[in-house]
Amino acid sequence: MAGLPRRIIKETQRLMQEPVSGITALPDENNARYFHVTVIGPKESPYENGTFKLELFLPEEYPMSAPKVRFLTKIYHPNIDKLGRICLDILKDKWSPALQIRTVLLSIQALLSAPNPDDPLANEVADAWKSDESQAIETAKAWTQKHAI
Amino acid sequence: MIVTFWIVHSIVTSAIQHNGLLKQVLQSLVWKMGACICKDKTNTIDNRRGSNVVSSLMSSETSTRGQQSVQTDARIGTHVSTSSGGWREVKTVDALVLETLSVIRSLVDNEREPPQAMLYLQEVSESQSGWLQMVNSLIHSIPIEDPLGPAVVTLLLDECPLPTKETTLVLCEKMNLNNEEQGAKNQKKFCQIPRNIGVVLGCLAEKLAGPNSIALLTPRVLEYLLRNLEMSLPPVVILHSLVALEKFAQTSENKATINRALQRNSPNQIEDLEKWWQNSDYQKREVGFCAKWCLDNLFITEGHKFSHEAEDLSAVNVMLNSNDVSEYLKISPDGTEARSDASSFESVRCTFQVDSGIWYYEVTIITDGVMQIGWATKDSSFLNHEGYGIGDDEYSMAYDGCRQLIWYNADSKPHEHKSWKPGDTIGLLLNLEDKELKFSLNGQCLSPHKDLFDHAKGGFFAAASFMSYQQCEFNFGASKPYKYPPKDVQFKRFNDYASLSDEDKIILPRHKKLELLKSLKVQEDSCTLCFDNKATHCLLPCNHKGFCYKCSIQLEICPICRCQIAERVNSCDNDDRDIVKLNPTASKKRKHKKS
Repeated sequence: MAGLPRRIIKETQRLMQEPVSGITALPDENNARYFHVTVIGPKESPYENGTFKLELFLPEEYPMSAPKVRFLTKIYHPNIDKLGRICLDILKDKWSPALQIRTVLLSIQALLSAPNPDDPLANEVADAWKSDESQAIETAKAWTQKHAI
Repeated sequence: MIVTFWIVHSIVTSAIQHNGLLKQVLQSLVWKMGACICKDKTNTIDNRRGSNVVSSLMSSETSTRGQQSVQTDARIGTHVSTSSGGWREVKTVDALVLETLSVIRSLVDNEREPPQAMLYLQEVSESQSGWLQMVNSLIHSIPIEDPLGPAVVTLLLDECPLPTKETTLVLCEKMNLNNEEQGAKNQKKFCQIPRNIGVVLGCLAEKLAGPNSIALLTPRVLEYLLRNLEMSLPPVVILHSLVALEKFAQTSENKATINRALQRNSPNQIEDLEKWWQNSDYQKREVGFCAKWCLDNLFITEGHKFSHEAEDLSAVNVMLNSNDVSEYLKISPDGTEARSDASSFESVRCTFQVDSGIWYYEVTIITDGVMQIGWATKDSSFLNHEGYGIGDDEYSMAYDGCRQLIWYNADSKPHEHKSWKPGDTIGLLLNLEDKELKFSLNGQCLSPHKDLFDHAKGGFFAAASFMSYQQCEFNFGASKPYKYPPKDVQFKRFNDYASLSDEDKIILPRHKKLELLKSLKVQEDSCTLCFDNKATHCLLPCNHKGFCYKCSIQLEICPICRCQIAERVNSCDNDDRDIVKLNPTASKKRKHKKS
């Protein structure tokens, strides 16, 4: 790999030494820019008890550009589409190089607690969420049972 | 440049808008074509919808595109006999796969819309049965002889939704892992299916990494892949089975499982295969290369010497630079051969830079797929995941003998050479006196190219990019004589002028390199963004500190408070002589579509 930036080494070391509760991020053995991530569904959300797998990749321009993050586990969420792509401002135009892998993953965990159907990525899911929220939450729970447990 | 992936959602939408009534047409066809379903016992409602979509999509394609897809038209709605795999249903999926394969060669631009056939496949693969159908088609219909075959499997699996654990288990059950036709070992047909199964398994192992990858490596799948390492089998089958194992081993639990299985034999199968690494049969050589790489990096066996400890490199003064390479490229321990098995577009530069004079190096083609081989300065960036490599910016130029193109500034022009074949020699001449580049294939030279020198003035390196499953060998003039040295001009060899310390010649296995990197200590007063340089600069007007000069000029707004930056001041000097004025155009890096 093209001389790994110290920034990535530093972040990796810290993730190992001071892990964040409910989140694991392990660098790939062959690629220090690729992380295997799991996020536990937050309490009192439809994703409770689920273990969601994600991939996180630090592009060449990191930290000047945002990490690329994607859900690998299927999830029913208005801001996450069926390919696992996430609609989250800090991963796009609101990225700042002062943010880190850790803060990004915390934001994603928070997104699970607070779905935002007004800024949807998965239109059908967002519509369902808006028209019948309790039904949508049931579906999200069922998906969590089916795919994440 | 290679096409890596598209932003699927927006493109599906735009394709539908683009084609006007397509959506309506599709809907009516779904109704009308209700009868076109195979009566297979495995059919579910889901499945039926899948088949319907396929048939209707195919029909709409013919209705909108008329005679264009001759090859696919004949197959529409054909029901397939279930004899071969026992679970094939609609031949149209095969046709879509083949069409994707045939158009991918001509697709050289990420900005363009993906082929229709691929969009349909994406739609088909949304249901479990549709996805299984597509994988089945990949296995049964991608022909062995097309150099882009395995790359298309990778691309399609990348583009379509990932399967659930349940789906992968169904796939494992349904795949034919028996190789019954042992009698016909050397026939193309015999190679095709196990080769494609290897490619599919490898891609899925890589995509799924983690619990699902562990689930996919059932005892049956593991036995199958190990059995395929038998040296009497066709090398292409061995190769893709080995690469699949390599990709499974990206998940540590799988790696342990594979290691245990390998240790049943001593020497293990991969150690046997390693002997092929300099074989004159290029397919065997690919296997040997991968085996060697696996033994150094993944399947580390007690008593097996690491290759970098065994190489005699006393005559070598220039190599492929293991510190100037995108992350998945594999470089041989002697630094002259490189290979990629990743789905990204992997690039590398050599260790020696030239600024004047006339220089020549040669490359032996081991695989006949897409590689872009040429020259680059350090300003050329390797955007492997976006599909950009050598020849895809204004600081590099490359020869692509598969698609028969010359690449410069991400734009390509056809050349008159025929497609390259394993064993061919590419000659690359850099003439800094006349400011021109010449490319040759087996001594036959193309007319000179001058475009590169519009932007790049000096600091040139030999460089190359590799699509998945591609490999070639570089000759920088160390030991082997050149096969087709240019006769009309006096040139220099890198190896006669370059030098490398013994330490710089060591190409460490990745795990060792990572260990080394992780033990690095970071200084307390480092820049809070890169940690590479000292924090020297302060941003105005917000006064936030802790950045180095290099990072500060890449910023337009403060990373802490998002306030617009007016000035960057060196906070180490007390007088403000060292003020850097804002110049966003000069500091901003080239932006790419994918963000």
